[in-house]
Amino acid sequence: MTTSEESSNYSIQTRLVISFSILLFVFLGLTGVVLDRAFRNSVEAGAAERLQVQIYLLLGAAEVSDGEFYFLEDLREPKFSQLNSGLYGFISRPSLGELWRSDSALAFSLADPQVLRQPVQVGETQSSKTLSAEGDEYFVLSYGILWEDGISEYSFTVIEDAAPYYSEISNFRTSLWSWLGGVALLLLLIQFFLMRWGLSPLHRMARDLKQIESGEKNQLAGNYPQELQRVTNNLNVLIETERKQQARYRTTLGDLAHSLKTPLAVIAGTMQTLSSSKADDKEQLDAVDEQLARMNQIVSYQLQRAVQTNNRSSLARQVQVKPVAEKVLDALAKVYRDKSVSLVKLLDEDAVFYGDERDLLEVLGNVLDNAFKYGRGEVSIRASVENHDSSGLQIVIEDNGPGISIEKQEYVLQRGARADTLVQGQGIGLAVVTDIVGSYGGTIEVGSSNLGGAKITMRFVSTRQGS
Amino acid sequence: MRLLVVEDESLLREQLQQGLAKQGYVVDVAEDGKSGLYYATEYDFDAAIIDLGLPEIDGISLIQQVRAAGKEYPILILTARGDWQDKVAGLDAGADDYVVKPFQLEEILARLNALLRRAAGFAKPKLEFGQLSLDITAKRLLVDEEAVDLTAYEYKMLEYLMLHPGQVISKTELTEHLYAQDYDRDSNVLEVFVRRLRQKLDPDQTLKPIETVRGQGYRFSLEES
Repeated sequence: MTTSEESSNYSIQTRLVISFSILLFVFLGLTGVVLDRAFRNSVEAGAAERLQVQIYLLLGAAEVSDGEFYFLEDLREPKFSQLNSGLYGFISRPSLGELWRSDSALAFSLADPQVLRQPVQVGETQSSKTLSAEGDEYFVLSYGILWEDGISEYSFTVIEDAAPYYSEISNFRTSLWSWLGGVALLLLLIQFFLMRWGLSPLHRMARDLKQIESGEKNQLAGNYPQELQRVTNNLNVLIETERKQQARYRTTLGDLAHSLKTPLAVIAGTMQTLSSSKADDKEQLDAVDEQLARMNQIVSYQLQRAVQTNNRSSLARQVQVKPVAEKVLDALAKVYRDKSVSLVKLLDEDAVFYGDERDLLEVLGNVLDNAFKYGRGEVSIRASVENHDSSGLQIVIEDNGPGISIEKQEYVLQRGARADTLVQGQGIGLAVVTDIVGSYGGTIEVGSSNLGGAKITMRFVSTRQGS
Repeated sequence: MRLLVVEDESLLREQLQQGLAKQGYVVDVAEDGKSGLYYATEYDFDAAIIDLGLPEIDGISLIQQVRAAGKEYPILILTARGDWQDKVAGLDAGADDYVVKPFQLEEILARLNALLRRAAGFAKPKLEFGQLSLDITAKRLLVDEEAVDLTAYEYKMLEYLMLHPGQVISKTELTEHLYAQDYDRDSNVLEVFVRRLRQKLDPDQTLKPIETVRGQGYRFSLEES
């Protein structure tokens, strides 16, 4: 099987699940990335704002004397005076480098001290990130000012440890993705149930079709959603057409049989009259008579065959064996009233034939007729359910007649034995039965009965099984 | 023995009529279900042969209506399709046997004989009454194991009487079952046949098999053996 065939085998449900899942993951993924980015930006912007405030604080408190900075009052931010607090203030000039650092920064060193020499335009803030000598990340905000003397330009720089911000971002990230994951799961679950609900009419249709196939239903009944209603309507029409066509086929063949057989009967009658009046031509007349009998046999056989072809493919119906068998037995009891046949019948109530009633009638009629005809007053019929799952049917018909010889047994079991090869006088009954049984995928066995005569065993397997 | 043949195919109908008449049956024919129903219910027959595929009223309905009208004579169906659906339906409707087309006349005759015999309540192919034995298949009479020659009409009359033993059969009934419709019923030919039969069956006047019931008709009065 090629890949394209495999992919075309995916069920609609699988297709929808896969496409919806892809959609879900792309959507939620992008949402996550965008939210993450936005939060990060907002945290960084918040940090920059905070640093700006610290710069103003330093600016407000700073005094210069002889190029030296000092602070008259305590800085209102205690972190500036607490060693290694993570918030460090610097005052520098690009030309001179660092001029002052806060108490907190006494043990702090930058990986790149040039950061403090970066020239910053007066009145501008410059924000960046840098690394400490230990490799930790820091936010840097520098502000360029022109001192009161109107000449000196200084840079006020505040450096703050980025770790608390990053841990905030990472916390946010953890909770963001776990929420999104939860939402994804929830949506998948909802989607699964929606899908089941949405696709349930299709499942129902499949179930209904199976029931039609097994003969439990005739039509796709009930209300289907608008989109399917047209399909089911068309299917119903198709099923009906198929049935009608089958019926028409049978009627046509029946008519054909009638129209062929009646002239044959007339010819046969004329032949009889001729042979009694023209004794001289007896030989020729006998030859014609023989051929006539043959024609009749061929017509009968081929018509019977034609009527029951392709049973298996058509929509099977189920027929209870017991009432059909009893109908045939009643009819035969009438015909063979003189014979006073003692009948043993074991007909299982549950025994069901999956097929056309006509075919079952034909099978039972032909085999039972032989049993009544050739039996010496004892006939037995058993119909039983076979297999543990009740899918099979076994019919056994026995009699106490002369039986069927081994050579003949093989012959009658040849499927589709042609009528023109049948021995004169041999009925077409068993040949027809063999064909019908074969057309249902069943088997037929001819053997010897304990009663002393023939034993015909037929086994059928339900078409339900395979489908 | 009076028979009704309902068959729409004219050639076949004629063949049947001729073949059966040759065997001594009185045959009425109908060519469709409607006239078949008329004959079947208006007249009394000993048996009917009905084709299943008939115009107007199909064979199955015809049989059902004949039975519904209370007619109990045996019915033999002719079926062209020969499938069991037809046979079972026909027998279920009230027919007694079937013959599949095309058929040999002998087959029809054999089935018909069996049906007539059965309808008269005889299980065996021979009607046996003491020294008298009538083989209705071979149409032969044995008296004390010796064959007795009968003319066609003598045979017909004896067969009819023996098939209805102990019953008083009127002259009209006998005429109807022995002769075609256009026969002159006033003739006293029946009495001639009865006299000749008595001589042939019972030359010594010891058995007295055929009784005359004054003003009513004749009765075959031997006990079946």
